[in-house]
Amino acid sequence: MLNYIRAEFYKVLHRPYTYITLAVLLALEGLFASMFAFHNAHSLVTPFGGAILPIVELGTIGFCVCLLTGDIVFAAQYKNSTLKNEVSFGLSRARIYLGKLITQTLLSIVYLVVMMAFFLGLCAVILPMEGGAGFYSPGEALTIVGYFLAAGLPLWVGAQAAMCMCLFLTNGEMSSSFLYAGLVFVLDNVLQIMGLLVRGRAGDVLLKICQSFPRPMLDGAKAVVGDWGYLGKAWTVGVFWLVACTAFGLYCFHKKEIK
Amino acid sequence: MTEHTAVMATYGLQKAYGSCKALDGVNMMVRRGDIYGLVGRNGAGKTTLMRMVTGQSQPTGGELELFGASGKNMRPQRARTGAMIEIPSFSPFLTARENLEYYRLQRGIPGRDSVDEALELASLTGTGSKKFKAFSLGMKQRLGLALALMNHPDFLILDEPINGLDPEGVAEFRQILRQLNRERQTTILISSHILSELSSIATRYGFMEQGRLIEEISAEALHDKCRTCLRLEVDDASKAAAVLQSQLGTDKFEVLPGNVVQLYDCLDDPKRASYALAQNGVALLAMEQKGADLEAYFLNLIGGGSHA
Repeated sequence: MLNYIRAEFYKVLHRPYTYITLAVLLALEGLFASMFAFHNAHSLVTPFGGAILPIVELGTIGFCVCLLTGDIVFAAQYKNSTLKNEVSFGLSRARIYLGKLITQTLLSIVYLVVMMAFFLGLCAVILPMEGGAGFYSPGEALTIVGYFLAAGLPLWVGAQAAMCMCLFLTNGEMSSSFLYAGLVFVLDNVLQIMGLLVRGRAGDVLLKICQSFPRPMLDGAKAVVGDWGYLGKAWTVGVFWLVACTAFGLYCFHKKEIK
Repeated sequence: MTEHTAVMATYGLQKAYGSCKALDGVNMMVRRGDIYGLVGRNGAGKTTLMRMVTGQSQPTGGELELFGASGKNMRPQRARTGAMIEIPSFSPFLTARENLEYYRLQRGIPGRDSVDEALELASLTGTGSKKFKAFSLGMKQRLGLALALMNHPDFLILDEPINGLDPEGVAEFRQILRQLNRERQTTILISSHILSELSSIATRYGFMEQGRLIEEISAEALHDKCRTCLRLEVDDASKAAAVLQSQLGTDKFEVLPGNVVQLYDCLDDPKRASYALAQNGVALLAMEQKGADLEAYFLNLIGGGSHA
C-alpha cells in the first residue's frame, strides 16, 4: 500500500493541475484578507479576530476542495484507460481503491493545512491583532475556528470518500462531479423539502436523515461552538459516510469491467 | 506435456455479455517457452481472452489458470506477467520516463535502472521532456512494450503490439521478442492482424472464430500443412503411386482418399509427372499446384471470408 501511495504522490506532484489549483485557492484567500486590509485603511478597523471568523461561513469550500483533490489524484483513469495497467499487474482492486482514497485524503489535508496557515499567517501580518469593541480577541477567534475545523475534518473526509466513490462509479470526471454535487450539495436540500412537505412520522424521518448529511452537519457546528456532544455527532456522521461510501464504492469497483 | 509446463490454461472458458457470447467454451494451453500466436478476425474473442488473463474482465463460466494457480490465487501470479492490451494507455501529462517511474514505484520494483533499461529496450531514451499526449502511435506502442517488460516478466501478453510501428520498429520488435524468448525463456502470447509477422516468430498458433478456439497447432505442423505440393487427381491412386516411385524415383507423396495424390516433388517441372503417369496408363483427371501461407490457411479454416 505504501508503494501505491508513494506512486500516487509522485504522479500528483508532477501534475501542474495540483499547483495551479492550490495557487488559485491561495490567491482567493489573499484577496479575501486584502479586502479587510483595504477596508481598514478607509473606515472601521477589523482586527485579526474579526477577519478569521468568516472561515466558519466558508466550510462549503472544503467540500469543493474534496472534489478538486479527488479529480487531481484520480487523473481521469477511466478516460485515459490507465487502470488496466494496474489491474493487469495483479494489484488488488482494494489496494487501488483505498490507495487512491488515502492519497486524496492526504492531499486534501495538505491543502487544508497550507490554506489555513497561509490565511491565518497573512491576516496576522496585514491586520492588527486588537481592534474595536465587539470583535473577538485572537484567542477567542482561534478557539471558534479550531472547533469548527475539528467538526469539519471528519465531515470533509466523509465527503472525500463520497467523491472517491463517484470517481470509481462513473466513467468521466464530469459525471462524477455531478454525482458528487448531487450527493453532497443537493440531496440534503431535497430531503429537507420533502420532510417539510410530508407530514407526520415520515416527514420527521426525512428531516433526521437530512441532518446526517455532511453539509447540514457542518453548518450546524458554527452555532454550537464548544459543544462536545455535537462534535462527537459530527465525527460519527463523518465516519459513517467514510465507511458507507468506501464499502459501496469498493463493492462496485470489484464488479466493474476495466476497459 | 504435464500441467506444470502450462503457463496459462483455460478450460471451457466463457464470457457472455447478455445473450452475446464473446467466448464460448475455450480450451487453450500456452506452454512454457511458447510464442503463441493468437489468430482471429475482429470480434473473434482474442482481446476478451487476453483481458480475462490480465484480470480486467471476469469469466462467466469455465476456468482459467495462470502458472498453475486459479481463482483468487491467480492474482499474485499476474506480477510475473507483462501485458499490453489494446492501445497503450498512460497519464497524458507525464513523460515516458515519469510514466515508467510511476509504475515502478507502484509495483515496488527496486532501483531506477529498470526504468532506464526498459526505455533503452524500447528505443525511447531520446524522448526527453515530451509528454505522453504528444507521442505518435508508434511511440505509444514502444512505451507500452517498455512497461510490459519493466518487471522482467515470465509471461508476456501482447494484443496487436505492432500496430503503428514503422518497418524498422517492426523488425526491432520482432528481434526483441525472439531475444526475450531465447535468452530469458519468456513465454509470449501475441495476437496480430499482420499474419506474416506472426508467422515469422510464433512457435504455436491458436485460431479463434466466434468466441471459440477452432484449432491449436504447432508451427511445425502448420508448416507441414501449408507445404506446397502438386495435387493430382487420377483414376487409380495406387497405380499412380507405384509409377511415381518407379519412374520418378520419389517417395515424397501422399495418397489421399478419392484417388488423390499429393506430390511434394517435381514442383518446378510438373510436366515430368504428368508425362510419366500418361506413359504408364494412369489417367490424370486434374492437376493443380497447392500451398498456403498462414493467412491462406486461416481463411481456409474459417471458410473464406474477410480479413483476420
